[in-house]
Amino acid sequence: MFHIHLSLFSKTKALESDIDRFHDKLIDASMVFTQAVKIYLKEGRSTDFKKHSKQIKLIEHNADELRRNIENNLYGYNLIPDLRADVLELVENFDKVINKIDEVTYMFYAECPQIPDEYRAYFNELVGLSADAAENMCKASRSFFRDLSAVRDYSQKVYSIEHESDICSRKMLENIFASDRPLAEKLQLRQFIDGIAEIADQAEDFIDQLLIFTIKRDI
Amino acid sequence: MDLTFLIYLSSGLFLGWSLGASEASNFGTAVATKMIKFRTAAIISSVCVILGAVIEGSGATKTLDSLGDITSLAGAFMIALSAAMTTAWMVKLSIPVSTSQAIVGAIIGWNFFAGRNTDLTILSEIISAWFLGPIFGGIFAILLYALLKITFTHWKLHILRKDSLTRIALIFAGAFGMYALGANNIANVMGVFVKSSPLDQLKLPLGIILNHEQVLFLLGGIAISVGICTYSHKVIETIGNTIMKLSPLMAWVVVMAHGIVLFIFSSTELRDLLISWHLPALPLVPVSATQAIIGSVIGLGLAKGGRDLNWNVIGKIVISFVLTPITSALVCYISLFFLQNVFQQVVY
Repeated sequence: MFHIHLSLFSKTKALESDIDRFHDKLIDASMVFTQAVKIYLKEGRSTDFKKHSKQIKLIEHNADELRRNIENNLYGYNLIPDLRADVLELVENFDKVINKIDEVTYMFYAECPQIPDEYRAYFNELVGLSADAAENMCKASRSFFRDLSAVRDYSQKVYSIEHESDICSRKMLENIFASDRPLAEKLQLRQFIDGIAEIADQAEDFIDQLLIFTIKRDI
Repeated sequence: MDLTFLIYLSSGLFLGWSLGASEASNFGTAVATKMIKFRTAAIISSVCVILGAVIEGSGATKTLDSLGDITSLAGAFMIALSAAMTTAWMVKLSIPVSTSQAIVGAIIGWNFFAGRNTDLTILSEIISAWFLGPIFGGIFAILLYALLKITFTHWKLHILRKDSLTRIALIFAGAFGMYALGANNIANVMGVFVKSSPLDQLKLPLGIILNHEQVLFLLGGIAISVGICTYSHKVIETIGNTIMKLSPLMAWVVVMAHGIVLFIFSSTELRDLLISWHLPALPLVPVSATQAIIGSVIGLGLAKGGRDLNWNVIGKIVISFVLTPITSALVCYISLFFLQNVFQQVVY
């Protein structure tokens, strides 16, 4: 019995460590993303920005590897099937947020949009809010694995930050479309605003799902 | 073991088979959630039910013995058969039937037929145990739920570790539940045959000697195991997917609570211990596993903040308390009449 107990927990330990590292990736990605956009707004597509952009690509790549590892191990490891299905879904949706961060950074890299001076502060604010939503989503998700009672607190933060990011992005869009800029420029800026705000939206969707899984497991 | 004895014993074995097929739902959630295979659950159940029957079966059997002094094999045969028929009929009517109530009714029917008096003190003890079974089930479920809640509030365990522990705990609870079922319900299956059994003691390897009563319980335990292995799959899946659609942790609470109820109504050691501590001891009486489970589920519902008791289910249990023994007594009385007058058998 003692042997079974130990072997069960040793298998779990490897999986636990992968899940933890997977969560670390989102924190890394959101921090580098905030930095990258700040640099872009200051210097454009500079060497430093390119370095940060590459770093995000690498984080996304590592996160994908970890996700695949977790998924394979979840199938190999004899979990209660209901929990396995929920964890798989969470991991998939968690990864989507990292992918979105990578996608938006690449948009900056590839399209090199001209951000007018008057909107730079707004962009910084929006990026900060989205990164904050992603980080709090990550904390909520970690709590799901370790301390169910804390999930609700972080979830509430994500909801509130997402609401703020909505207000910020709408304000930006209204200002941009009220300006005399060429339509093509307006549309391009909108694409970027939507892309950044989408990070917070995806964090919110993830939280909706996480809360259901938490209620299912709450004693 | 002669053939006549086996033929008479068949009704008890049939009762054991139906008990195994219908009441062995302890692994319901574990099997339905595919945590363990049915085959593994059936093997663990079979071993535990036999162990429970052989080791702890005598306590509740003595109480049934005191209710009716059945010394005739033919009489014992008809009591077990009447109980089995009543149980089957009640199951068809979707009433949460108890084999214990059916067998007690049949013994009372035999007492009437044989012109013997029924010991009302023993009978009242038994009836009180029927009420206490589901009530205790509810109380233990509430206590276990509170214990789990406190444990997991203070012990921040990774969800994967909790999952591993839950799986192990569910298997242990299932095994304990089956052991308790064997200990408590073997009296229903084999109790009436104890006095008329011609079986001798049995010597097993490792110097284990089973007395004639334990040999009878071993046979009854095997009959229950056959019921588990051959017919309980559907019941287990139904229970796991519908009636007891609980989370694995809550299923653990229910299985443990009902196992404790069955155990406290069958353990001679526990009763002696309580008496030695000058505490009130519970009668050793066969109680219904199904009704204990229902009591536990209701208790769990209340503990989780549910305010509405399902009076429909409670009503059905109370109907079963009244209807099952009366029906069984009538069926037994009429059957004994035929057995004695048509088949010329000595029934008492």
